Order: sequence, then structure tokens, then C-alpha cells
Amino acid sequence: MRRHDVVVVGAGLAGQRAALAALEAKQDVAIVTKLHPLRSHSGAAQGGINAAIGKEDSVDTHIYDTVKGSDYLGDQDAIEFFCTEAGATVIEAEHFGTIFSRAPDGTLARRPFGGAAFPRTIYAADRTGLALLQGLYEQLGTASPTIYEEWDLTSVVVRDGRCQGIVAFDRRRGTFEEIAAKSVVLATGPAGRVYGRTTNAHTCTGDGIAAAYRAGAALKDMEFVQFHPTALLESSILITEGARGEGGILKNANGERFMVRYAPHVQDLASRDVVSRAIVTEVREGRGFPGSYVHLELMHLGKERIESRLQEICDFCRTFAGVDPVVEPIPIMPAQHYMMGGIGTNLRGETNVPGLFAAGEAACVSIHGANRLGGNSLLETLVFGKQAGIAAAKHAGTAPAPEVQQSDVDAEETRVGVMASRTVGEEPQHLRMAMQATMDLKVGVFRRPEELGEALTEIRALKARYDHVRIVDTSKSYNLNLTDALETGNMLDLAETIVAGAIARTESRGAHSRLDFPKRDDATWMRHTLASKGRDGPVLSYAPVAYTRWEPKERVY
Amino acid sequence: MAATTVPIPFEVYRFDPAKDKAPRYDRVTLDLAPHTPVLTALLKIRTNTDPSLTLRYSCRSAICGSCAMVINSKSRLACQTQVGAEFAKHGKIVVEPMRNQPVVRDLVVDQQPFWNNYRKIEPHLKLDPTQPMPVGKENPMTPAEVERFKETPRCIACAACYSACPAVEADPAFPGPMALAKLYRFVVDPRDKDTKNRLVRIQPDGLWLCLRCHLCTEACPKDVQPSERIRDLKELAIAAAGTSEAGSRHAVAFKENIGEAGVLNEFKLVRQTYGTMEMLKQVPQGMKIARKKPELIKKPHPIEGVEEVKAIYRALDTESEDR
Repeated sequence: MRRHDVVVVGAGLAGQRAALAALEAKQDVAIVTKLHPLRSHSGAAQGGINAAIGKEDSVDTHIYDTVKGSDYLGDQDAIEFFCTEAGATVIEAEHFGTIFSRAPDGTLARRPFGGAAFPRTIYAADRTGLALLQGLYEQLGTASPTIYEEWDLTSVVVRDGRCQGIVAFDRRRGTFEEIAAKSVVLATGPAGRVYGRTTNAHTCTGDGIAAAYRAGAALKDMEFVQFHPTALLESSILITEGARGEGGILKNANGERFMVRYAPHVQDLASRDVVSRAIVTEVREGRGFPGSYVHLELMHLGKERIESRLQEICDFCRTFAGVDPVVEPIPIMPAQHYMMGGIGTNLRGETNVPGLFAAGEAACVSIHGANRLGGNSLLETLVFGKQAGIAAAKHAGTAPAPEVQQSDVDAEETRVGVMASRTVGEEPQHLRMAMQATMDLKVGVFRRPEELGEALTEIRALKARYDHVRIVDTSKSYNLNLTDALETGNMLDLAETIVAGAIARTESRGAHSRLDFPKRDDATWMRHTLASKGRDGPVLSYAPVAYTRWEPKERVY
Repeated sequence: MAATTVPIPFEVYRFDPAKDKAPRYDRVTLDLAPHTPVLTALLKIRTNTDPSLTLRYSCRSAICGSCAMVINSKSRLACQTQVGAEFAKHGKIVVEPMRNQPVVRDLVVDQQPFWNNYRKIEPHLKLDPTQPMPVGKENPMTPAEVERFKETPRCIACAACYSACPAVEADPAFPGPMALAKLYRFVVDPRDKDTKNRLVRIQPDGLWLCLRCHLCTEACPKDVQPSERIRDLKELAIAAAGTSEAGSRHAVAFKENIGEAGVLNEFKLVRQTYGTMEMLKQVPQGMKIARKKPELIKKPHPIEGVEEVKAIYRALDTESEDR
């Protein structure tokens, strides 16, 4: 049996940082990942990473901005820890070898970002995620963990009340394999692909979140889904907030800078939920362009600045939208971008299942609460990836020998074997597309109660159809059709938790905007949603928000 | 916004070594808007007609490096290649797996050789133990120092360059364009303290096997310009480690030769590259050449405009000092 002290699932920034921390604690560490580490979606992060290192700035201001940005749903103890670690985390990344953009005096360059009082976002042109991923991967390479590459996580094994390992599908050989582990860290990223209009990669299918859910872990705040204001119209490819940080402005079809009306003080650099609602409102009230979109203008910044600071964006616009941002506006609309929710953890990455840890976008600590600020997610991957790695290593130091039984592997083989043996059945990609259509249409920026109700019915109907899903590809190696089926099943479970949470939460807070309950309701709803898997879908319960110093106030930008 | 669609014929390479005796090409015609990426077209095939088609893909925005393949004979990213332009040029779109890496199935190749070469250049900062990193502070780096990386930080390790490289195909000892561009990235990093050793080691480790054909630069979807960075490495390697290899001696001899006469002296070039002993071994070959093309082994006269050539050399020397 394969056996390791610590198994980290996912090799993006959070997973790699967790693995590195566990290796530093002298544990035997393995990484299981469905993509080569350098292909992780962390690499797609553009804008930057926050740390209050400027002379005018302070850690307290960063904490306050994050608490306010979260619409007071973030846990303040976790946010304090998070912001306090920021400076050292960014310096560490620089020491790892990350190539950041620099100010003329040779220090780390910073740019303004939405919801932040000062320029606090450290960046590497508009490819900060890639720069961090390269630096961290280079460091990890010197520590040489075992890497099981292109393996899909299919289940987390919990026995005797603790996590004992995982079962995964080796794509290359086409076999289910067991890996026993004293500690398992899930850093598998988000499930953005439950939506069709999403900036997320095709591979962001929430595999780890779903496996944790099935294994008894509680998912936290799943209804809080961030829609990024500026995604390219057709492809939903992300246009970084850094574009507005550099001075880009939004205009409607009347040529009006409409953000002036929604956020008089900071205008285009208001928090993401605010800007996304403003854009959707403009379009809904008839001030969008034909085809339902608005413009992001960069032209006034000049060719030199656009091409040096926003190089990738220029390429994206030219290649994927046929638009040159140096001479013309970029057509944009909001698209799903980030999940504030995820596997519930504390600030050491511990879940409610002993031996099971989570970090990064797959987890919910919660520091983002109801709305994440730009530049805080890259920071989260490194800060809490490290914490989860430390805690996992510590747990492994005292945990008894783990065991994954043959029956655990057999169960997965049977589950998939049934799908492969059908001669008629549902094509997984078709179910996936139907789910995405429902989520795009009915669980978006604004939420109506009747549409949420329909969405729940539709997702449950798709789950029933999924019971008849069929794998038609009969090859063993790189059977992507099988991966499709696994991923679609994972996402249907998670879509259900998102919709159920959204139906129950009868208020508007951060990214969750109910048309029938337009106000925030602190008396009833200043609490986290917890979704646990029941026999017939998610069972919801609630947990208090951790407070330290910041009293809830109305959120104005 | 919906653009009009046109029928576009595809020929897609299919091969499962476990089942098929030989590869085949599946022919399918799709109605697509001209700006549709090839990746989207392949995913349409998976969704609508054949879910068994297998390939690597993830971000669909040219940043993860997963979907490099050969499209109409060129190594590139499927997500970044639009069907309209390809159809206009070739009348069809032929999709094949990358080259220089064994096919695992359909469009999926075994990238181990590529990653092994990447590992070989020791892709991580190497520090001088007597000069630890500044405590609690970043290493200062001026914007000018950041400029020295050129476009190498943009590399997404997609291996399109590796697939396009004839030197990789000809000689497994050649590390390939990506690994060398990555090496350049560490050589110019002011934080790295192993610059000289890196430059010394890479000379026998394949630097001079680059043929300067520029196909890597042409293939690169992120404008990393591996070919140009390999050229820079050659210059830096000679400066740091002298002409320790036949490749570097050849480069220097070539330059001197032209500088003296404006035309190559093959006799001298061979001697300077390989040394007198080695040159003597090549005498039989030289005799053969002499019989066929006697002018090649004669000492050439300086060309008419040799003074102008010398002026160009002087100008270039001054320029390189400025850099």
C-alpha cells in the first residue's frame, strides 16, 4: 500500500505551500494533482497580492478593509492573523525567486486595487499568479516531494472518526489507487465551472470540496459566489482589476461613467460585488450596448503604459476578443470568478474531520466572508497553505498508522464500473452544460426567490439523471470521458449546496444579493452557513462569526 | 454579436497504442465563427460527436500551457489559434500531437523528456551561503535589472518550442529552447550567485547544439524568444568561461574570420574550431572537397568592401559595451 505522512491534493499555490511546510517539518509528503503543478489555475491570477508594506499603509487598515469588504461575515480573528502575516509572506515569495515588478528605488512596486485604502497590491505585471507559481515550484523542486501527477481525487477515506487517506484515479494507467495518509490536505481549488460564464479554468470542478462533503466535512458559506465585474464578453476570460487599478474606467452605452452614481468616492475601484451589481443594473435598465455589455476603457492610459503593465491583457483582448485596448474599448460583463465558500476550516486549516485539512480557494477560513477583495486570494493561498501544512505535519507526528482498505478502492471501481457498463445513459458533458445554464440564469449577481426555487428543482433533476450517467469511451489510458463523469458528479453536489444556501439566506450581504431581501440583516444573518451532506441533499446549520474589534457598519465606497 | 458561421473541415489525429495498430485521422466538419479557438472546436467534438477524443486543456486563455499541439504543421496552443485564419490559409485544420515527445493517446504526449531537461538546468535560485537573503526585507532589484529578464518570466512551459525544435529531434543531448530560456532567466537574476558555474556547465551540456533556426521563437505563444535568449547565453558563456567548447571556438573563429577578410577561410575555421590535431584527422575529407571545389580550401582574398566590414565590427563592439 502507498503510504505517506502527509498527502496534499492539488498543486496550485496553496497545495505547494502546504507541501513545502510539511516537508520542512520533516514529514514524508506526497502531492496528488490532476494537472502538472505549473498548469494549476493559480497561475491565471493576474492582478497581485496584498500586503500593507507601504509607509502610508498599515496592517490595521488592511484588516479593516478586508473586514469591510467581507460585509462583516469574515472571521475577524482569522483576518487579523492573515493581514499580519502578509508582509513576511510576500517577502518570502520574493526570496523564493518570484520576479515581481519593481519601483524605481528597487523596492516591490504596488498598485491600487478595489476596496483598499492605499496602493497595497504587489504585482508582477499582470501575471502575478504565474510569477508566484514559478517561484514556489522552483523551491518545491529542491525539496523533492513524491508527486502523483494527473491523478484525479475520487474519495477521501474516513474511518474510526478520522481521515486515513484517499482513493485516486491514475489517468495514465486508468486504475484506481489508494494512498494511506495520516493527514490529508485538500487544496484542489474552486468549483467555478458549476457556472458556464466563469473566468475559471475548465478544470476548476471542486473535486476536493465534493470529496470532503461526501466524507462528512461541513462546507461553509457556499452561497457566496463572487462575480468579477470585468470578464471578456464571449469567452469570460478575466480582465484583471489591475486594469482599473492602473486607471481604466467603465462606461455605459450613453458614454457615461456610471460608477460615479454607485460609488461616489472610489468609483471604478469599488469592491467587486458593488461594481458587478452596477454593471448588471446598467444593462438591465437599458443603458448597456446591444448584446448586453458595457465598456472598459484603457485608451487614455497610453500605449506604453498599457503594453508594459497590462501585457497579458493586451494579448487576451487582441487574441480572444479581436479588440485592441490601446485604441478601442473592451466589451465586458461580470462572470463567476471566485468562491468565498468552501470546506470549512479554522485558521490552522483544520476541518471538522480529524486528519483532514483544507487550504486555498477550496477552503473557507473565513477571511473573505461575503465578498473577497482583489489581491487577497493569492495571499490566502500562501498564508493558509503554510498553516495547513504545519498543522497537517503536526497531526501526522502523533496520529496512528493509517489504513486504506481494498473495499475503499473497490467502491470507487464499482461506482465507475457501473457508469462504463451502461449501453444507454446520460452524457456527462450534457448534464454539465444543463447545470451551467441553470446556475448562470438563476443563481447569478441578483437572486430572485422564484428563480432560486426553480434552480434547486432543476439541479435535483440533473442529479437524478446523473444516476444514469454513462461513460462511452472504452480506452483505459487518458479516459477523459471518465474524468468528465467524476467532475460532473462533484459539481452537481456542490451546485446544490450553493442554491440551498442562497434560498435559506433571506438577506443581501456582499456577493449574495436577494431582490426580495435587499438589506443586510445582522440580527438574523451575521452567521456562517454550514452545509453537511444528508441523505436527500444538504442539511444546513449555522455558526457564529468571530469578532474582535470591528463593529458592523453600513458598507459605502 | 453572433458572428456568421462557416463549415470548417477538421482532421484530428487519433491513436490509442493499447488498441490501435496505427494512427488514423478522424474527419469532421464543424460550423464555426471564424474567431473560434481550435480548442473550443475540439471540445465541441468531445461534447457533440465523440467524447472519447482525448487531449490536455485547462485555462483556455493561454496561461496554463496545457493545450500545446501541432495545428496545420505548427506547434502552438489550441486555445490561442483561431479557426478562421487557419481555414483561410490551408482550407482545413489538421490537428496532431506535439513532436519530440512520445504519443500516449490521441493528442496527449509524454512530457517527461521535456521536464527532465527543465530539471537539468537546476531551475531554482542558488545562493552564496556566506550571503544570506536580507532578513525581513526584499532583495532590491531595479526596474532595469527586471528588464534583463526580457520576456522569459512569461514562459508557461507549454513545450511548443520543444516540439518545434529540430535540434531536440536530432540530438537528445540538447536541453531544448525552454530549458535554455529558463537558464537565461537564472543567469541574469541578480539574486542568483551561481552565474559563472551555470555558464561553464551549459557549454558541454548542449548550449552549442542550438542551430539558430528560430523555430522556437516562432512557435512560442508568449513571445519568450528562446532563440534570442540562447544567443545571449552563448555570448555570456564565452565571456564567463571562454572558448572551452568546439561550438564556442567555432563562433569566435567565424567572427574573427569575417572580420579579417569579409569572407570565410574554411581551412582556418576548422583549425580554430577543432585544433590542429583534429584538423589533421580531417585531411582526407578536405582532399575530397579540394577535388570537387578547389576554391574552398584556398586562402581567400579579402573582399572588396572589407574596410566597411571592419567598420561594422567596430560599431558593433561599441554597441555591445553600451548594453
